[in-house]
Formats: sequence, structure tokens, C-alpha cells
Amino acid sequence: MRLLLYTGKGGVGKTTTAAATAAHAARRGLRVLVVSSDAAHSLGDVLDQPLGPTPRSVAAGLDACEVDARHEIERHWGRVREYVVSLLRHQGIAEVVAEELALLPGADELATLVCVEEHAASGRYDLIVVDCAPTGSTLRLVSLPEVAHGGMRWLLRLQRAASYIAEPIARGLVGAPIPKAEVFAEADRLFFKTLRALRDRLLSEQTSVRIVVTPESMVIDEARRALTDLALFELRTDAVVMNRVLPEAALAESFFRDWGPAQDARREEVATAFAPLPILESPLAEDEIRGTSALADHGAALFGTRDPAARLGEGAGLCFGREGEGGWLRVPMIGRSAADLDVARIDDELVIGIAGRRRRIALPSGLASLEVERVAMEDASLVVSFAPDAAAPA
Amino acid sequence: MRVLLHTGKGGVGKTTLALATALVAAEHGHRVCVLSTDPAHSLADALGQPVGPDMKQMTDRVWAREIRAQTELDRAWMPVQAWLRELLREDADTLVAEELLAFPGIEELMALRAVREVEASGEFDTCVVDCAPTGSTMRMLRFPDALRIFMNHFFEIERRSARVLRPLVRGLGGGGIVPEEEFFTAFERLYEEVDDVSRLLLDHERTSARLVVNPTRVVVDETRRSFAYLSLYGVATDAVLVNRVLPDVAAEGYFARWRAREQEELASIERSFPVPIRRVSLQAREVQGVDSIAALGRDLFGDVDPAAKLHDGRPLRIRRAGGRTRLEIDLPGISKEEVDVLVKGADLHLRVRDGRRSLQLPDSLVGREIERVRLRAPTLEISFADG
Repeated sequence: MRLLLYTGKGGVGKTTTAAATAAHAARRGLRVLVVSSDAAHSLGDVLDQPLGPTPRSVAAGLDACEVDARHEIERHWGRVREYVVSLLRHQGIAEVVAEELALLPGADELATLVCVEEHAASGRYDLIVVDCAPTGSTLRLVSLPEVAHGGMRWLLRLQRAASYIAEPIARGLVGAPIPKAEVFAEADRLFFKTLRALRDRLLSEQTSVRIVVTPESMVIDEARRALTDLALFELRTDAVVMNRVLPEAALAESFFRDWGPAQDARREEVATAFAPLPILESPLAEDEIRGTSALADHGAALFGTRDPAARLGEGAGLCFGREGEGGWLRVPMIGRSAADLDVARIDDELVIGIAGRRRRIALPSGLASLEVERVAMEDASLVVSFAPDAAAPA
Repeated sequence: MRVLLHTGKGGVGKTTLALATALVAAEHGHRVCVLSTDPAHSLADALGQPVGPDMKQMTDRVWAREIRAQTELDRAWMPVQAWLRELLREDADTLVAEELLAFPGIEELMALRAVREVEASGEFDTCVVDCAPTGSTMRMLRFPDALRIFMNHFFEIERRSARVLRPLVRGLGGGGIVPEEEFFTAFERLYEEVDDVSRLLLDHERTSARLVVNPTRVVVDETRRSFAYLSLYGVATDAVLVNRVLPDVAAEGYFARWRAREQEELASIERSFPVPIRRVSLQAREVQGVDSIAALGRDLFGDVDPAAKLHDGRPLRIRRAGGRTRLEIDLPGISKEEVDVLVKGADLHLRVRDGRRSLQLPDSLVGREIERVRLRAPTLEISFADG
């Protein structure tokens, strides 16, 4: 089972690209599910069919759904919900208000994760394509299992311990129902089993992230930061899709004459910033692409001879780590010696010059406040060590 | 202070038009603060100069600041952090603020606090907010409601439990796992702050939302729903800003068919939104930097002061006609099946697609039955029976 996550700045065509990938793969004979996880869903608009939280067939071999936090929480978290409702009732609150709980921030991401893992584990699909919310939320999405693994586990363990010890006392004094063991069992299943399974899946080779861009500076700037942040969470990016490339015929129009050189510069920028990932280009379409058949055609044109479900490329394998107060960054540099390299820190970025070509790497926030301590070549990789700024007050 | 919230589907040019609004407002003599609450900030990318978590002066009268939840947390939420650190001490190496960020609602909370800070400083008469794309912005707007529910229904329970458990757990040698009273006090203060902002955002004289769109169908479809959600949460939209309209000179040859489709969308925009529509053309080159953004802003607003209220409408209205009382709410792009209305006691529960709001009914309507719910696009009319 392959899992593909499409992300990128808002408006670059993530939904269209995700749907086109899915439609094209389905036409090639795979059993495919395309899921929208953006709370402001537009997958239904693009497929030109109303969608709900349960997958429905939209073409041969192709199912689609839009995650609905409320629906998922009712389905997977019934006991916890029952408890919450009983607690609310105890306080004299109507059931309808309890529904608001599903609207608490974070519920969307949680619901998406649970939904994706469930379908992935079902064995019904060869490929699941997720149309993620814009960059910021996607990062929150991929970091959530991590948090569940750490913080939440502790909070729940604590609460469970507290309720065993304190239940008889608290019932008298606090005057509120204390959650029963089954409530915790359900939270356990949700947070630890499902989310851990998903975390393993996200980090495995079965999962690839594809970053969607357009030839515009603001979009590319954000994508570069996303690439680094994804690497920080150990997700593998396997390709970059560049949408809305103005075709020759459009550039021939006099109004657009300045766009040609600018577009070439952006293409070059994308090729350098994301090397060695393959860049798939798709021209600015004359029509908005709607409906599964038009989407499958669009996918076929985008992927050409490539298999849309395959791993299309290997990222540079950037990795970051923390060590005590400091941290490190490792960049594979096969066939380079330290003498070729020139490393400098400029604001929040690390600039690596390799034989006259420069690569700018946006540093994750955890490392950006540190000083570069040491630069070395180890096992064909460039290793940059960071330490807390000695001059700064502790 | 006027607050102008800029939202819309991703990639339509929210940041650019928010900055254009700020720069032109400054030309009209306002002192303007631009806040970016989108966790994927692009103010700096648009201006071509760094903007950070501290207020930074960009021009004579325009300041800018990016709300980074992590920095805000470090500054503002020490007691909560201290407690969580203590709590997780044994299991986690160190609890970094980064991890806290993944806790639900933190980003929305920090964004709301920042708006309040700008108002409290008294230094600005206009605050332009470059919001996150639709989904997150709606989450931010409903956050005060969610927090109110949490505070009313859970908070006191938690607090009482903590009072009971603290000595007990301490006796068992597990100090630190039950929050100290200080934690609850910090939370309460926070709640008051959010409540303040919420009043500011729902005040139609002070706050207006501006929806940014491009003339393409998927964008317009989504924006209609955003308008409906904003109405639902009680935020008044006073204009729709159409960005990247093909200029006449570009509408020939290759783009001729494009132009025809765009005309349809523009007409549909005019029909869909009961507020003024302002347009600005696609530019001949990428818009970046103060000068080109200000020029775009002058195209967009002409002689109009962008900080002014551009439309005098209310998202929710109560009308009396022929002895009947009617509650009206503008919900473009919403069908009747997507609306659910329920009265419980003094509260009216409204559900529109996956958005929900509980409204307190005016005394005169409490206890009256709903006679009819009718959608006369784009307005939903809820008629109450005679009292």
C-alpha cells in the first residue's frame, strides 16, 4: 500500500494535482482512494461530485472522501464522547453542546490521521492519496503522532492513575463523574495503537510527500521551508510538482513578456533548491480541470511515462537531530571533499556552497537560534554541529 | 481601532492585498499595524525584507509583525509551560515549546492575543490582519466559543479536582502532576483576554472581514462558503476583493477563451455577495516590495480610504414585520439541506455545514416557537411565531 501526501502553499493546485494523480493511477488499474483533509474542502468541487466522510466510488477503481472531524469522533471515540456528554449532562448541559467538542482545534488533524490509517489498514486500496491542508496545518498533522507518543501518553497515564486513586474520594467531593476504565481503553486505542501505526506508516518507505509549487517567489520560498521541516519530521519527499507554468503561446502575448524571464529564473531556483528531486511540470490549463476523466488526462500528461504511484526520487536525505542543548544537520554529499565546500550561516538559513553552486537550507526553528560550532565531512556527508550561543546569557 | 481581517482560499493573494490595504491606509493618514497570523508567514516574502515576531517599522506609518506561536508562548504562558515541563519531566527529555505547539488551539489562541495586544498598545488606529487560509481562520474565529464552553463546563471541575487531588498526590510522592492554582489563574486571565478580542471581532463598527478571491470557479465556490461561516460567527464582511483579473490588453489571443470564462465568474461574484466588490488586475510582473504593492493598492482602492467601513451591513439581523419577528442571516452558497436550526431554552443553535454557533436569543424571542425557516438566497430567514 502506497501513501502519497500532497502539500504546498495554498492555491497552488494541490487538490487538482492530488485528484489527478489518483484518477490517473486508477485508470492504470490500481485501487485508489483520494482523501481531502483540508477543513475547507474543495475535493468535491474538483471531482464535481458531492463527497462525504465515507468513501464513495467516483470512477472505476477510484474512491473519494472528505474527512469530517465530527463524524470521525463519533465513530471512533464513542465512549470518550459518552463520558463527556455524561459530564456535561451532569452540569445540566444539552447534548447538542457536546458536539461542539468535535470542533475544538486539532480535531481536524486527529480525524484525518485516524481516517487515513483506518483505510490504509483495510487492505482495500493499493494507493491512498491525501490532499493535505496548506503547509502550516500539514506540519501540525505529521507532528501529531509524535506528540501523542510523548505528551498525550503521559497525560492519559496520569489521569488514569489519578482516577484509580481518587475516584471514591473525588466522587464525593468534586461531584462529577470520573471516567471509567473503558474510556481510557478507547483513548489508548486511538492515541497509541492507531496513531503509532500511522506514525510508523508515515516514516516508512511506503509513504512519500510531494510538494506542489507554482513559478512564483512567495510560493517557492514557502516550499523550501516545508522541505526542511518535513525532513525534520523524517518524512520522505519524492518529487516536486510545478503547476501553472505559462506555455510558450501565452508568453508570446505582449502583456506577459516580462513573465518569461521571471519564470525561467523560478524554474532554475526550483531545480537547485530541490535537487536531486525530479520536478514535474504542468502547464497553466486553459480550463479549470473538473471531473474524473479530465483529471485522469491531466495526470497522464503530468506523469508521462512515470508510474504515478512509484517513488519518483530520493530526497537529498537531509536530516536534523538534537543533542543536549545543541543539534546537528547532516547532508549527504557523495563525491565531494571538504575543500569543495563553503558553509555559512545567514539569518535563519544555512548556505552551503558546493563548487560554485549554492544551496540554501532553511533551518528548523529549534536550530535557528544556535551557533554553528563545527563543519566536517563524515561518511560522505556534510555534518554541521550547532551549539548554544556562548555569548548569549544562559 | 479598526480591525481588517483578510482571508480567502489559499494562494489568492491575501498577503499582498492585506499589505496593499495597509500601505494605502497609511497614505490616508492612518497608523497601521499589519499582523500575520498564518503559521506559514509570507509577509517577509511579499515585502522582500525580513519581518519578525517583534513589531517592526516598514514605512513611515506601517509596522508589521508575524505571530509565531512558539515565541508568543515563551513570552506569555510561562505558568502553563512550567507546569507541563514539570509534568513531563520523567518521560520526555525536555519539553520544548515546539511540542506544545501541537497542542490543540495554541496557534489560534496566540493569534487572538496578538490582536488584543495591538489594541491595548493604543499606538495604532488600524490593524490589518493577514489571516491563514479559510479553514484555519474559521477555527480561529470559533475558538472563543469553544473556549467559553470549556471554561463554563470543564474548567471549574478541573480546578476543584486539582484542589482535591493535589495534597493527595503529593502525599503519595507524585508532586507536580496536579497543576498548581497558579496554572488556573493564568488560564482564567487568558480566557478574559480572548473574551476581549472576541468582543472586538464581533463589533461591526470596529471589525470588518475582507474576502480575497480570484475569478475562478473553485475559488468563488469556497469563498461563498467562507462568507457564510463569517456571518454565522457574527463577523461582518464589508467587501470582496477580486485579485488577478485579466486586464483588457492581455485578454486577446491565447487568453481570449480564458477571458470569457472569467467574465462569467465575475458576474457570479457580483451576484453572490451582498457587499461591495473591488477589483484589481493581474500585473505585468510579480508584485513584490513596498512600492509595487502600494501601486497595486492604489489601483484597488482609488480614492477610497481602505480603513473605512466599506459596507454597512450586519451578518445577523432581527426584523419585525406585520407583527412577526424574523432573524436573518446571509449565507451565500449554502443550500437549505446544509442548515440546521434548533431552539433550546434561551439558545438558538445554528448549524451551517460543519460550522456551528450557539446564539443567545433576545428576551423578546425566548419561549417562542420557530414558525418557518426559509432560504431566500443568500439570506436564511428564521421566523418566530407571535408571542
